[in-house]
Amino acid sequence: MSLPSQPQVPEEFRVLSMMHNIGAVTPERSLTADELAQWTGMDPATIKAFVQKLREEGYVEFVQVSGTEKYHVTRTGIMKVLTLYS
Amino acid sequence: MRVAMITWEYPPRIVGGIARHCEGLAKALTQQGHEVHVFGLDFPGAPDYEEQAGIRIYRTRSEVGHPNFLTWVLLFNHYIEKRMADTSKLVDFDVLHVHDWLTAPTGIAFKHFARKPLVFTAHSTEHGRSGLHIPDSFTIDGLEWWSTYEASKVIVTSGSLKGEVCGHFHVSDSKVEVIPNAINPTPYEGSVDRGAVRARWGIQPHEKLVLCVGRLVPQKGIEYLIHAVPIMARRRPETKFIIVGDGWYRDHLEYLANTSGQRWRITFTGFISDWDLTALTKSADTMVVPSIYEPFGIVALEGMAAGVPVVASQIGGLTEFIEHDRTGVFVYPRNPESIAWGIDHVLSNPGHAEWLVKNAREVVRKTYSWEAVAKRTAKVYKEVIG
Repeated sequence: MSLPSQPQVPEEFRVLSMMHNIGAVTPERSLTADELAQWTGMDPATIKAFVQKLREEGYVEFVQVSGTEKYHVTRTGIMKVLTLYS
Repeated sequence: MRVAMITWEYPPRIVGGIARHCEGLAKALTQQGHEVHVFGLDFPGAPDYEEQAGIRIYRTRSEVGHPNFLTWVLLFNHYIEKRMADTSKLVDFDVLHVHDWLTAPTGIAFKHFARKPLVFTAHSTEHGRSGLHIPDSFTIDGLEWWSTYEASKVIVTSGSLKGEVCGHFHVSDSKVEVIPNAINPTPYEGSVDRGAVRARWGIQPHEKLVLCVGRLVPQKGIEYLIHAVPIMARRRPETKFIIVGDGWYRDHLEYLANTSGQRWRITFTGFISDWDLTALTKSADTMVVPSIYEPFGIVALEGMAAGVPVVASQIGGLTEFIEHDRTGVFVYPRNPESIAWGIDHVLSNPGHAEWLVKNAREVVRKTYSWEAVAKRTAKVYKEVIG
């Protein structure tokens, strides 16, 4: 039996998923908002807004490198991403 | 036998039932004298290689990523394949066992390269999980078909899923073997301080705790449980609900809870530790499994082992190990009124609930052990090796 239609995946979840898929999953592989924007083809301001929400929810963390914030998906964030496909 | 188990989920990388299935099977196969090599993906904090009770675990990092999920999947498959190729210089595998489509490209390529038989376990299908509405789903559906085609034998965890696989992929009945999931009963055998556990989650001694555990995705049907909360609030005002798990559908489910008028009764915990989950399960008054698609439903089996009466949708694999009003209570899927009836039925009849639990534990103990699953899986391996 299949579901009648697939509900929409939230936009910030798509960002989380993309961060995971490009490998930003550990502090040493963290990326800046500008780098994430380049990877995902999204506007840096939009990325920052989504990343902020994901940080508040515990799915993304940041590290400071030379005064710049770099973001990566947390373990909980990875597990959340996998729910889409498992 | 030397088994190469290929899976994208293996502890500590746990999402749904696949990781637990692979771990349980690998442990039991190893205990029965087989040599198991698990190939999977890396996870922060977990080593690239380790041995756990004789199981060799190879966690591979995908050096190249891509924002598109399917592209990323194909890329990580390449890296796992490379790792397997290196390992195969030292280990002559007898059989390759792939779990779900995500690592199927590795298994299929390696089957042809090493000329070894391939076994494919389908834990669910894209057609059943999401329906085929978007291009990615068609690709996943194609990969699943390809896996069933290339495999010498396909394993599924329930008769319901066998019907789905044979019907949708046109696989012959004789190629598909039903081997159910199992659980490790040990964590559920110890005692917990029920009062303390419940107090920690805000449940007062006079209140009834309804537990729901699962990935927060549409197919788990949790929205129908949330719609049942106001009905239950009228019937039994002392009822509270705890929903354990996380997923991309969580925001929507929290929105439904917020607009139910009963938000204070519902707690979303997110992911919690195995220990906390076991303690919470053993402390609940009932567990609800409101799925609308469920190839097996291992969480219900865990509830049964933990001694909590299970109220479940009469659907899929759940119908194969729960017997209505003997080992659990069935309700209609997508039906909040029916779900509320099931919960009320269990909570209103403590003596009957106790009897259900006793019967359920007996069924789990007798039938759903990893030892039995490993023996049946090894039989499949022998058959394909010839």
